[in-house]
Amino acid sequence: MSIQSPTSPLLAPDNTAGAEDANNIAEGLWSDVWRRFKRNPIALVGFYVVCLLVFMALFADFIANDKPYYLQYQGKSYFPILRGYLVGAKLGRWPAELLNVDFKKLEGAKALYPPIPYRPSNINLLEPVEPPSARHLFGTDKLGRDVAAGMIHGSRISLSIGFVAVGIAALIGIVLGAVAGYFGSWTDLTISRLFEIMLSIPTFFLLITIAALLPPSIFLTMTIIGVTSWIGMARFTRNEFLRIRNLDYVTAAVALGVTDRKVMFKHILPNALAPVIVSVVFGIGGAILVESSLSFLGIGVPAELVTWGSILQEGSTTTFAWWLAVFPGFAIFITVLAYYLVGEGLREVLDPRLRGLR
Amino acid sequence: MISYLAQRLLLMIPTFIGITLIGFLIMRLAPGDPAELRAAGGLGAAAGAGISLAKRGAVDEAMAQWRAQYGLDKPLHVQYLVWLENLFTLKFGDSFKDSQPVWGKITERLPVTLKLNLWSILIVYLVAIPLGIYSATHANTIGDQITTVLAFGLFAVPLVWAATMAIVFICGGDFYYLFPPGGVESLDFSDQWPLWKKVQDHAWHLFLPVVLLSYSGFAALSRYMRSSMLEVLRQDYVQVARAKGLQEKVVVFKHVLRNSLIPQVTLLADLLPGLIGGSVIIETIFSIPGLGQLGFESVLARDYPTVLALFTVTAVLTLIGILISDLLLATVDPRIAFGRRQQ
Amino acid sequence: MRPRICRWMLALLLLAGCGDKTEVKVSDTPPAENVKDPGKPVTGDWLVIHSLSDPELLNPLTSSDASASEVLNYIFESLLTRNPKTLELKPWIAAARPEISQDKLTYTFKIRQDARFQDGRPVTGEDVLFSVKAIKCPFVNAPFLRVYFDSLVDAELIDPYTIRFVTKEPYFLNESVLGGILLLPRSYYDPENLLQRISVRQLAQDPAKLPPEAKKFGEQFNRNFNRNPLGSGPYKFSHWKTGREIELARDPNYWANGKEGIDQAHVDQIKFRIVNNMDAALTQLKSGGLDYMDVLTPVQVMRGTNSERFKREFKKYEYYAPTYTYIGWNNDHPIFRDKKVRQAMTYMTDRKLIVKSVLFGLGEVVDSTIYFFRPEYDKDLKSYAFDPQKALALLREAGWQDTDGDGVLDKVIDGKKTPLRFEIKVNSGNAVRKSVALVLVEELRKHGIDARVRELDWTIFLNDVTNHRFDAVVLGWQMQTTEPDMYQIWHSSQAANKGSNAISYKNARVDKILEAYRREFDPQKRIQLYKEFQEILNDEQPYTFLYVGKRASAVQRRFEGVEVFPDGLRPIDWWVPKARQRYANVATAQ
Repeated sequence: MSIQSPTSPLLAPDNTAGAEDANNIAEGLWSDVWRRFKRNPIALVGFYVVCLLVFMALFADFIANDKPYYLQYQGKSYFPILRGYLVGAKLGRWPAELLNVDFKKLEGAKALYPPIPYRPSNINLLEPVEPPSARHLFGTDKLGRDVAAGMIHGSRISLSIGFVAVGIAALIGIVLGAVAGYFGSWTDLTISRLFEIMLSIPTFFLLITIAALLPPSIFLTMTIIGVTSWIGMARFTRNEFLRIRNLDYVTAAVALGVTDRKVMFKHILPNALAPVIVSVVFGIGGAILVESSLSFLGIGVPAELVTWGSILQEGSTTTFAWWLAVFPGFAIFITVLAYYLVGEGLREVLDPRLRGLR
Repeated sequence: MISYLAQRLLLMIPTFIGITLIGFLIMRLAPGDPAELRAAGGLGAAAGAGISLAKRGAVDEAMAQWRAQYGLDKPLHVQYLVWLENLFTLKFGDSFKDSQPVWGKITERLPVTLKLNLWSILIVYLVAIPLGIYSATHANTIGDQITTVLAFGLFAVPLVWAATMAIVFICGGDFYYLFPPGGVESLDFSDQWPLWKKVQDHAWHLFLPVVLLSYSGFAALSRYMRSSMLEVLRQDYVQVARAKGLQEKVVVFKHVLRNSLIPQVTLLADLLPGLIGGSVIIETIFSIPGLGQLGFESVLARDYPTVLALFTVTAVLTLIGILISDLLLATVDPRIAFGRRQQ
Repeated sequence: MRPRICRWMLALLLLAGCGDKTEVKVSDTPPAENVKDPGKPVTGDWLVIHSLSDPELLNPLTSSDASASEVLNYIFESLLTRNPKTLELKPWIAAARPEISQDKLTYTFKIRQDARFQDGRPVTGEDVLFSVKAIKCPFVNAPFLRVYFDSLVDAELIDPYTIRFVTKEPYFLNESVLGGILLLPRSYYDPENLLQRISVRQLAQDPAKLPPEAKKFGEQFNRNFNRNPLGSGPYKFSHWKTGREIELARDPNYWANGKEGIDQAHVDQIKFRIVNNMDAALTQLKSGGLDYMDVLTPVQVMRGTNSERFKREFKKYEYYAPTYTYIGWNNDHPIFRDKKVRQAMTYMTDRKLIVKSVLFGLGEVVDSTIYFFRPEYDKDLKSYAFDPQKALALLREAGWQDTDGDGVLDKVIDGKKTPLRFEIKVNSGNAVRKSVALVLVEELRKHGIDARVRELDWTIFLNDVTNHRFDAVVLGWQMQTTEPDMYQIWHSSQAANKGSNAISYKNARVDKILEAYRREFDPQKRIQLYKEFQEILNDEQPYTFLYVGKRASAVQRRFEGVEVFPDGLRPIDWWVPKARQRYANVATAQ
């Protein structure tokens, strides 16, 4: 009965913004939003954590890598990490002396390594299941892979799954909700049935089914999380559209002959976005949670990929290796919490009633 | 009222068909053939004995026969219709794994899952409502801030993490042994035990799973409760009641509470679909023989009849749940009318 | 007492290490070996065995999983069995080993006249004949068991206690196969005697020509006998609580009680307790809920079972499990067609380190497809040590070089520049095999070989393997401790039609050896044939042989008579002296 779905469950049941001058909110909204948002210390902390995580994900290769930043060897200097990027993009080649070499074993070489000098895939069978130490800050798993490296690179996977999955969900949800809310009557009826169907399907079960049956891939995981979690956003969008559609300025636009599509996406949508945006932020947190459950169950994650969920899963079967359970779980927790706090902060700012305007 | 009910029931039919169709398509279109799975067992055994399987043709024939027996060789839409037809006569069919009637397997495991979920729903409401009330009545105080952060914190704790931490630290293993690491009853559980002993044993085993299932629920619900109460507290008639000189307590518990409880009722409908899906992780980690575990194993074994049956059962439960909560809402809240009485 | 306090007290008791349930009178005396001779076996007490999952069915013919056969082996018997130490065939329900005709095609068994089923009825030739017919009946859901008996064309009763089998071609394992038929009581499994008028010869032919009784029998057999087995063995089926336990009770009226040469049963009840999770199972073992875990995970062997307290209560046994794990190279793949590449791959695999680290030392590197305790195993095979430099040299010889400086070796094959890139497939759910693949891949990458691991769900994986859709695959074979027959895995004819030769290995000389072996009835000559066979395989490395696993079991010390045999442990031999018995039957046994 865990309500850990990517829709935004912590929002109040009927989140329609009730102010009549919704059309005025669009202008200057975002600078106003930011100003008010900053006043909430908890949400601000969340925001900074999110920024930190995004930074970590983007620059993972520079934080945890078995190649050094800078290498001085036999009188020449190299930048192996950057060179690695070039070779990968087929824009360069390795010089013969550095081809497939183990940088740590180069004789007479001086190198500057990233703070965590391992990649998550570096297997070291001589140091399996080691507790945290100076060599391995967060310990190692059963194949001797460094857990800290796994966590840094794992943030990439978790965050990208979060963004893409929610992106897909938002796309589907907004479009469907807009169409349902704008056209009403039969269209609304059919689409609402679709909502009901998706609501009644046991989403987690569905997720497991699809993920377990198809060959594992990150894209698949993103897609199916996205495809099963758009309902919340759709409902909000629909409600907003239903409400805004009857406002004067919209009637005016229609009377003037503006096309339906323009009315929907240029006039109404910007004003309807407020609850959806909040939903998106919560959705990212939720998607990360779902992904961790999936990789915990061992589905959807390719074999070589080290994700937070996969390390956690090893922790649950190797019970004496507490570090395999504590660290990745904590990482997931902090990430999700950060998103939720940002989301809640945004919600308080964007909901006109709570702003005390009236 | 009757017309409303009839209307709703009618509308449920396309939804029902939609759900079952989706489930059916996913299972059947996904790669993996249950016949192959059965063959695998035989292959391994035969290889071990070194008997020639040049008669692999015979094996293929056997697989074809088996598929025909279960109607798996007919075109998809025919299969779906056949299954639907059987459904109306309540024939869920036999499981592919062990040829046992699917309905029997489900009813065997239903009590455990029900117990788990009902207890968890109970705990969710018992904890969340008072917490929500406290938050709302002390809004924007330090106490409220703390409960907010706690609620969000709890909600952000991944279930897999909480469960793993529990298993590692308090279920035997290297640290403490406070609760059993799995199962529904002790191994020497006997029907001859006195009732209190049986209850205690079950409680000891189910305590952790229930708590784990509930914590995100009561975090969420307490927030709902809070905002719902705040909403009501802002209403004019509450000011009036206060102005009339009524005691705060009376105001809160007589007027505000009743009205803010209303939306919580609708949440019950949202909880029911989670019954099977949400339990999967807990049942897997704690080796609890419930419907969630059955569902997961059946998916992996391509046991179509069982998976479809579970889908259907959940679908029906959910639809009923939605209907009930709508009805409840209507009876509790006099403002909501049925049908087209109000524009 | 309020339940909550009870629970905490119980937890405290367990924590404090008193550990014993109040009703158990386990003494703190030193382990069994130091106690003086425990005396003669007595009956009594229960044996609680750990089972990782429910069997699917308990039908003697249609069940195909290991859990089922473990249970069924206590309930059913067959004509012949094997001496646990020497593995020689010896009579069981048969009065003696069969008479074999000169042309090796006819086997005549005489049946004991004193054997009885658990319902009291005697075991007669009719039951033996029925058991064979049930297997041969195409409508019984046991296609894979039936293939064993493809070569059996006829069976008939000479007299009520003598049966004669006729086979199609000479095969030295026929005696073993026929002797291994589980004997089912006709009156129980075919109450209407539907198969009476249908002969084995008929059943071996076209199913469409069979009378309707055959189909009816098949349907009834498949449906009605899945949870209620009845045989002639020493243990009767009591009940099966799905997901919880299966209980077998010793039959006090067992026909072979006290008879020479037949295994005697001592323990009053055998309970298979189902615990899906290995960690939970170990906890149950330690807290007295289980007596015997037949498989411990490597981590449990290294870490969870070495405390003083554990050693006082339980004894661990380590023995080789006759399964070996290997990496199969698709011999039809352009990269792996070349023997040098395959040899190089073996040199790149640090097998010793894998056994030490991934298996925690519970295993042994192997170089052959034959179980190394068998006389047929060639002890003189040259083993490939871990030597990446040698591997690289071989690859260079084979024409692989990094011509474009991208870090990956390449070669021109069929006119196209091909990088040394491939995928190793493993099935999900097996952490050890996945680890092996990951270790190999990591090592390969260091040397310019771009290998990947792909984990697939079992059914998809199986499909890919049988249809030869893979570059390389990590798998294992279960071996018999009895005479091996490698035909099915290595003969070129088995590469087609989804046979077991999934890697498409084709070697004409090997084919001839395998064929000659099957017709050879002299054990010494067979050993010679297989020696040559193993030499060829060692040179060609169609598989990279990895290791034979070791199994570790833990048994509660109160049990006597625990001994390790080539096939593992035999719980049927175990018994508990009266003073140490823990459980007693609550109700009187029927």
